[in-house]
Amino acid sequence: MKNKIGVYICHCGGNISDYVDVEKVRDAVKDIEGVEISVDTMFACADSSQKQIFNDIKEKQLDGLVVASCSPKLHYPTFSAVAERAGLNKYNYVHANIREQVSWAHSDNKLGATEKAIQAVKAAIAGVKESISLEPIKIKSQKIVAVIGAGVAGMRAAKELADLGVKVYLIEREYFVGGRVAQLDYLCRVQETGKELVTRMYEAIHKHENITLFTGAEIIEKGGSIGNFKIKLKITPRYIKKDCNEDELKKAIEVCPVEVDDDFNFNITKRKAIYKNYPSEYPQKPAIDIKNCTRCGECEKVCSSIDFNQKEEILDLTVGSILTATGFDPYRPKENEFGWGLDNVVTLPQFRRIINMCDDKLIYNGKEIKEIAYIYCVGSRQVDGENKYCSRYCCTATLYTSILTHKKYKNIHAYHFNRGIRTYGKQEVIYDEVSQLGDIFLQSYEYDPATVEKQGDKTIVKVKDILTNNTEIEVEADLVVLVTGMEPRKDNSIGDVLKIPKGRDRFYNEIHMKLRPVETVIDGITIAGACQGPKNILESVNSALSAATKSYSIVNTGELALEPIIASVNEDTCTWCGLCADACPYDAIELINKNGKDIAEINKSVCKGCGMCLPVCESDSIEMSGFTNNIIENMISAYADI
Amino acid sequence: MAKINPDFKDELKKYGAFDFNACYNCGHCTAVCSLSTPEDSFPREMVRLSVLGLDENIQTSLKPWLCYYCGECSETCPRQAFPGELMMTLRRWLTAKYDWTGLSGLLYKSLSLSILFFVLLIAGVYYFAVSEQFNVEKIMHIGHYFEMFAIIGVFSIIILPNIIRMWYFTIVKSGYKIKFNTYIKKFGELIVHMFTQKRALGCDDNQIRWFEHLILVIGYLALLFTTVVLDWFGTDNDFIIVLGYVESALIFIVTFIFIFERSKKTTELSSHSHPSDWFFVIWLFLMGLSAFFVRIFIDTGLIHQNLWMYLFHLTVLVQWALIIVPFGKWTHFLYRSFAMYFDALKKTK
Ligand SMILES: Cc1cc2nc3c(=O)[nH]c(=O)nc-3n(C[C@H](O)[C@H](O)[C@H](O)COP(=O)(O)OP(=O)(O)OC[C@H]3O[C@@H](n4cnc5c(N)ncnc54)[C@H](O)[C@@H]3O)c2cc1C
Ligand code: SF4
Ligand code: SF4
Repeated sequence: MKNKIGVYICHCGGNISDYVDVEKVRDAVKDIEGVEISVDTMFACADSSQKQIFNDIKEKQLDGLVVASCSPKLHYPTFSAVAERAGLNKYNYVHANIREQVSWAHSDNKLGATEKAIQAVKAAIAGVKESISLEPIKIKSQKIVAVIGAGVAGMRAAKELADLGVKVYLIEREYFVGGRVAQLDYLCRVQETGKELVTRMYEAIHKHENITLFTGAEIIEKGGSIGNFKIKLKITPRYIKKDCNEDELKKAIEVCPVEVDDDFNFNITKRKAIYKNYPSEYPQKPAIDIKNCTRCGECEKVCSSIDFNQKEEILDLTVGSILTATGFDPYRPKENEFGWGLDNVVTLPQFRRIINMCDDKLIYNGKEIKEIAYIYCVGSRQVDGENKYCSRYCCTATLYTSILTHKKYKNIHAYHFNRGIRTYGKQEVIYDEVSQLGDIFLQSYEYDPATVEKQGDKTIVKVKDILTNNTEIEVEADLVVLVTGMEPRKDNSIGDVLKIPKGRDRFYNEIHMKLRPVETVIDGITIAGACQGPKNILESVNSALSAATKSYSIVNTGELALEPIIASVNEDTCTWCGLCADACPYDAIELINKNGKDIAEINKSVCKGCGMCLPVCESDSIEMSGFTNNIIENMISAYADI
Repeated sequence: MAKINPDFKDELKKYGAFDFNACYNCGHCTAVCSLSTPEDSFPREMVRLSVLGLDENIQTSLKPWLCYYCGECSETCPRQAFPGELMMTLRRWLTAKYDWTGLSGLLYKSLSLSILFFVLLIAGVYYFAVSEQFNVEKIMHIGHYFEMFAIIGVFSIIILPNIIRMWYFTIVKSGYKIKFNTYIKKFGELIVHMFTQKRALGCDDNQIRWFEHLILVIGYLALLFTTVVLDWFGTDNDFIIVLGYVESALIFIVTFIFIFERSKKTTELSSHSHPSDWFFVIWLFLMGLSAFFVRIFIDTGLIHQNLWMYLFHLTVLVQWALIIVPFGKWTHFLYRSFAMYFDALKKTK
């Protein structure tokens, strides 16, 4: 029970005192038992007032503090900091809001307002009396970060963390690193190919003693919480021995009789069941795609490096933080969407692979391509579909692709059927460059887009061009390229394992779009790159570095201080009905068996003190520190006692 | 349904256009143009048609003639697409399209061919002088007749059919049916525009240029009248002699200013010159100057010892009358006036 309480009542320059008789409030509470001093002040938040509170706490040895002023949203942090500086535990400070809830709400009734203010302050005093000093919960944290996905974002984050002295598990689901960037040849505005970029990053990672790279690996379970996540890693083997013979492996790929669609080339070519996406790919060993392998044994006959005895492995790892960088999938057009299904309609990612494969003539399906029609915003900015967002990368990537075709092949004509070109920021120069090359831009509204149809053996793209007075314009195209946007990964099960919330756009969601852009509501799990929403490489790497820093701040000291306002279970009265566990939005409550009795246990590092479990508990066995039943009941009684 | 032709830009580039493909259709050029109106909106629309290669639409349009090239659009264009220069190019291209002989197009596109024609005519005049044994009287007499016949011939064989073609493209082909009466009623427009270019007054900051132009047109037409009808080189009438001096001086002074501006590239419109622009001003300058000196030589009695002066004048005149007038920039003056006339006809609908 506190008995040296200081009460400070603010005029807020008139915001409060114009309607509330502040002096009367001050006098009404000054004689309450336990109140040491009761003063009014013009601006409680002013430096001089803060100093007075500070001095009073020190000199008068106050053991409780009440400030009655504006909303705690505004100045709760201010006065708890004053209390802490003066050596008073901040949980012994209670705030009364007499501005938003009193003076502003009752400006038509000054007497009533004053009366309500008195009750509010009395309630706060009653609360302080019962308050208990609390200390932050300290937990040990592993100085290890799991980075999921070895695309540009994941690799860059891994390198950054490792350089800061943190151990990193870099977990890649595929057998090869690089993500989507490995599938690109030249990148816009840098004189480097995607492969070169990936190679450079791989080398940095490979050499780094702090980084362990797992390929063919996936997290299948997650337990624990910030500082101590327990993850289960499933590793599918490559079925290739550690020391392998390269020439024999080449032969093995040649003799493999199984042919499947090649994902890497977006299914425009085939690959074998034992494969490598491109010669210099990292890690430089091929892998056997066991789902499609028929175990015919042809490869084993020519290659001694094959080892079908390798077994799937499950590893249990503990990490302090998880950085998720699982990237995106290109949008897959629906049947007949802009002619999808016709033999000369491809997506932009496919077209990039085609360019990569054609040297001096652009040939697709045996036909030389001269007239190219690009249709923009396919799967983005949809009117009817659910992808309302702009995919950001595609305008720039398409224009850059057009430059590539002009550089590589002769006499190409390109037509851009767009809905407004968005080469934002520094990328605008690319738009300029393409216009100068003589490419033609045709623009339509979203409700009246271009159409693609076959007329005999001709493919005709038509549009009502809003730049030419809505004239219907048609182009005969050899190849139609659908500029497909970014979508969340089809297999995004990792999100469910980690319980990362998704936004309306189905990408992973950050806490605050502007102020906390890489943290998720799951403490300790950060997100980076295109898994969070459409991003180009620069933006992916920006967010990767930011997420790395956030994850670093969690694991860096090896210890974490958490907010002590959390729920706790009364082991004697709890009978485990499970209602609280269902109500908890953070999965902080688990069933345990203690001394032969089933009871609920609350994970201190997961609980956020939201209080959802309290009202559902029928035996009233849950308490919230800082807001105990005792405190709340006392406050209500004081409020009601007129 | 319009079918686009991306190679049209290469054709236009031969006529002097450049960079117009950079246009991103912002419309600044149209907004800033003081002659563009909601009904006759340009130059963006013309830039767009050129980019798409919708040449039919350009051929039937009068809009390129409605522009007097103050150059403000090019100065404003955020993409440096030079819309004003494109309008100028379209006028050249249209001139070539109207010309039934096809020579305009060839001369616009090929500088060397133009030079060859000029050289051939020098040779022709020299051959004529030789065959007349450098007889001053005879040569000047035939020269005078040449002037008359050139005017009649060029007008009836080249210019008249070309104007009829222009009428066909811009009125008939673009679907206008206009009553005969209206042609008569609106005829005044043609005369007014031909002599005053009054529309150019609508351009901002253009008053001085308009005045220079007016002096040039009046001086040129008057000199033509004075030499052909009043026989300036043959007359003894003092008034006519002085009149000729004044007119020819006006011509070479004004054209000298134009040449000076063009070479200094002082303004937007003078900073991109096609060879045909140079030919036009230089030959006009040389005509005025040489006519002036021929008359001085006559008045001082020097002409008999210095026939070369007259031969020089005659060469300039022949080149002017047989190349620049029928196939070069001179016709712009005529087409523009007719465009205003046809535009007035169309507006009666
Ligand atoms: C055609 C095209 C052209 C482009 N051109 C450019 C350009 O010129 N310049 C530019 O800046 N950007 C360009 N981009 C964009 C660029 O590709 C992306 O910005 C970049 O790939 C995003 O990187 P990321 O690491 O976030 O994702 P990704 O590249 O998708 O990498 C994610 C990685 O995570 C792995 N992964 C996924 N799920 C799991 C899981 N559950 N467990 C473990 N690993 C997992 C994936 O296998 C992959 O390796 C282009 C994109 C396309 C489609
Ligand atoms: S970047 Fe361009 S193509 Fe891509 S969705 Fe946005 S506007 Fe459409
Ligand atoms: S100002 Fe330039 S870019 Fe804009 S419409 Fe005119 S020509 Fe095109």
